[in-house]
Amino acid sequence: MNVTTCEKALRWGAHGLVVVGLVAVLLGNWPPVSAAAEQAGESWFEEVADRAGIRHQHASRSFKNAYADIMKGYTALGAAVAVGDYNGDGFEDFFATTSEDHGKNLLYRNNGDFTFTETGEAAGVANGNDESNASADAMWFDYNNDGRLDLLVIRFGHSQLFENMGDGTFKEVSTQAGLNQQYLNSIVAIAFDYDRDGYLDILFGNYFQPVNLFNPSTPHFFPESFETANNGGGVTLYHNNGDGTFTDMTDKAGLRFSGWVLDLGHADADHDGDDDLYVAVDFGQDRFFVNNGDGTFTDMTEKAIGVDTKKGMNADWGDFNNDGLFDVYVTNITDEYMREGNFLWKNNGDLTFTDVARETGTYDTGWGWAGKFFDYDNDGWLDLYVVNGWVSAGEENYVVDIFQLITSPNVDLSDARNWPPMGNKTLSGYQEKWLFHNQEGTLFTNEAARHGLNSKLDGRGIAVADFDNDGRLDLLVSNANARPLLYRNIQPTGNHWVQFSLKGTRSNPLAVEARLWVTAGGQTQVGFVNGGNGFASQSMLRVHFGLGKATQIERLEVAWPSGVRQTFTNLQPDRMYVVVEGQSEILPFQPTAPKEEAAKLH
Amino acid sequence: MRWIAAVVVTAALGLFGSAQAQEAESLFQEAVQATQVADYEAALTKFEAALQADPNNLRYGNEYRLTGVKINQVKTYDRCIAFFKQLVADHPKAPNAWMNLGYAYVDKIPTEGAITQVLLANTALGHFSTALDLEESWLGRYTRGNSYLYWPAIFGRTRWAIADLEKAVALSQETDKRNYQARAYRGLGEAYWRLNDLEKARQIWREALELFPDDKELPVLLGQDDKALNAFLTAHFEPGKRVDTNVSALWEDTASQAWLGQDDKVPPAPAPIQVETGRHVDTTEGEISGKAN
Repeated sequence: MNVTTCEKALRWGAHGLVVVGLVAVLLGNWPPVSAAAEQAGESWFEEVADRAGIRHQHASRSFKNAYADIMKGYTALGAAVAVGDYNGDGFEDFFATTSEDHGKNLLYRNNGDFTFTETGEAAGVANGNDESNASADAMWFDYNNDGRLDLLVIRFGHSQLFENMGDGTFKEVSTQAGLNQQYLNSIVAIAFDYDRDGYLDILFGNYFQPVNLFNPSTPHFFPESFETANNGGGVTLYHNNGDGTFTDMTDKAGLRFSGWVLDLGHADADHDGDDDLYVAVDFGQDRFFVNNGDGTFTDMTEKAIGVDTKKGMNADWGDFNNDGLFDVYVTNITDEYMREGNFLWKNNGDLTFTDVARETGTYDTGWGWAGKFFDYDNDGWLDLYVVNGWVSAGEENYVVDIFQLITSPNVDLSDARNWPPMGNKTLSGYQEKWLFHNQEGTLFTNEAARHGLNSKLDGRGIAVADFDNDGRLDLLVSNANARPLLYRNIQPTGNHWVQFSLKGTRSNPLAVEARLWVTAGGQTQVGFVNGGNGFASQSMLRVHFGLGKATQIERLEVAWPSGVRQTFTNLQPDRMYVVVEGQSEILPFQPTAPKEEAAKLH
Repeated sequence: MRWIAAVVVTAALGLFGSAQAQEAESLFQEAVQATQVADYEAALTKFEAALQADPNNLRYGNEYRLTGVKINQVKTYDRCIAFFKQLVADHPKAPNAWMNLGYAYVDKIPTEGAITQVLLANTALGHFSTALDLEESWLGRYTRGNSYLYWPAIFGRTRWAIADLEKAVALSQETDKRNYQARAYRGLGEAYWRLNDLEKARQIWREALELFPDDKELPVLLGQDDKALNAFLTAHFEPGKRVDTNVSALWEDTASQAWLGQDDKVPPAPAPIQVETGRHVDTTEGEISGKAN
């Protein structure tokens, strides 16, 4: 490992002060933080989607085949949001999916004043749904190392790769990239550089096996078991060849299995310099793969997490107890009829994990979907937001039908024809969302109702981002067959914070996988640049740390994927910084004036 | 109580005291002793031999299963289930063998995933029903009614629980009062809790407390406000928790408060049975029938 150390603190120049001033002006414009919100016990979030110009509604795909009525109950999916600053103006934009036939996907450009302009059609990324493909998820990453965010639309069918042309438009390059050579029922993807060659690779998670869902050749494409199903789609690893093309390396990497994958999460579990994988799997065993550092992985599931028969929906990594190790949060199904409970896998440091969901109070979130770590009150401890709910429909409950199926003897579950149509029935619907406030790494308490984050829509994805660059993390939530929700964080704690935007030079330009250790007020936290962890959503690439009452950052250490290490000391909090791999000087993060950016694009 | 009467009849027909019964009891005692020295493999084998000699012996089956719970390995639960399945196949008219088969499925529940737990619970219910079809009993009614309580109200089984538990209460009123009979009253109140009728639930528990003033569980149920009671019983009926299937209270000290029902703790092993050399001490159902009648 080539390790270099650079220790130099940034002295903010006049330009940096101007930027900070601009941000402050923007913050002061709209909406003002209400006096009431300053009071303890008041809500610290405002739902502002409509005011922000976000008014689209997701719609699930209705299939037109012999199994359409049955499939309807199992495809209330595809409501995803992916945050990324695609135009490089310093304000986080986002892409949102719908799934209905010929439904338009949406690209929302951040106007810099907490409003957004939808530009999907103009940008050329709207057409993600047709008679042969249904959008399921989306992900921003830089596939050609040109420094611009490209877009991957993950689909049941063939996924789409859009190259960012740098002028607000995109060009589809799926075919040239070699990504549409095989039909996959992909529901999730992450980008990370598993072999550390400086290019971001793509790992797809596939739900159904590669049966064409739009025209199935067999009725045997449903899960063969509720707890040990091995007839799902597994994962597909596309290695980035560095020339704009990708090669399927799933087998060579040792990642071939056939579970019903719902989510993927990467992080360096053992701090050995390469990222390991947690795979959340429906109808059975989640998987944990250890990166061998040579382009292959070893399945360490049994040793790491043991036997699991649950319905894994989400995999997000974060160090909830500030012990320096990345832990994993996995949602499962917990309702009165089935008490699986979520996993909060505490990293033991030896590539094993202990589930502490019960003792930390994070066990029961209903029919869980995305669950994301983030520090909403900047107190230096990662909180959790979890969305849930499968289908909220009529008064009749589908659980009776499904349990009739479960308790029927000798039923071939893989045969879709044996599953009861859901019709207008409800299953685990109308569930309140959960905002878990972290009580210093030992206990989480639900603060969702207080902060107005307890929607009962059928939530799917959560993107965490600082849309107004004010140092307070906002939330964007996608909902199935409903509108998204945008929660602006207006918390008045006065706690300090810091954000880092990393730019790789030897590493991939987005610095995905880079780890950061921040020491402030005597407490050290670790974070990393993640390439899309968490169900149906991607959070901002910038790395945020809450610092509590600390007024000085004693130390920042960055471990780049290339192996380079850099250390900086004596940084000021409440600022955004740019760290460039190999550069000894840390830079101020400089958003472009929104009006200027808007004029440039139009 | 016809099931007890059946045991009496069985005894009267000559099994009790017969060579076969003595052999069964001897094997059972050897099994118990093996358990006491933690020689579980030998204990299980001896218990099985005892049950093959006396398949309808509830107590033998109870101790056999509890030994399996003590070992707490999937393969042991599977062994118990397989053994009882064969036992009922060989002796389909033995209600207590069916009861033990049902309990064996319940014993395995904590080792499985949520869906398999449902399948195990549902299968157990079927076996309790078979036992009841063969022979009406307080134990059968209480067990099946209590099992229905684990199903959320949406499944419509709470009404069936009420029917079974009301029958269990009625059966208990036909006999001398025993402490364990309070459990049916508790379950009946819990069924009304399932239906969100806390007033009715508390009314039943209050009436039960008058009948069983020494019961330790009833004051706990009655001493909680609505919110606390909901939390308590929701946790109590958490699917997947270990249900205490130890039915030894039926033949142990009638003044005891041994609990037939649910607890996530593994029950303590029954007290060692004292056997005086040269004297046969029967502590099986026959003794229960003698006390009950």
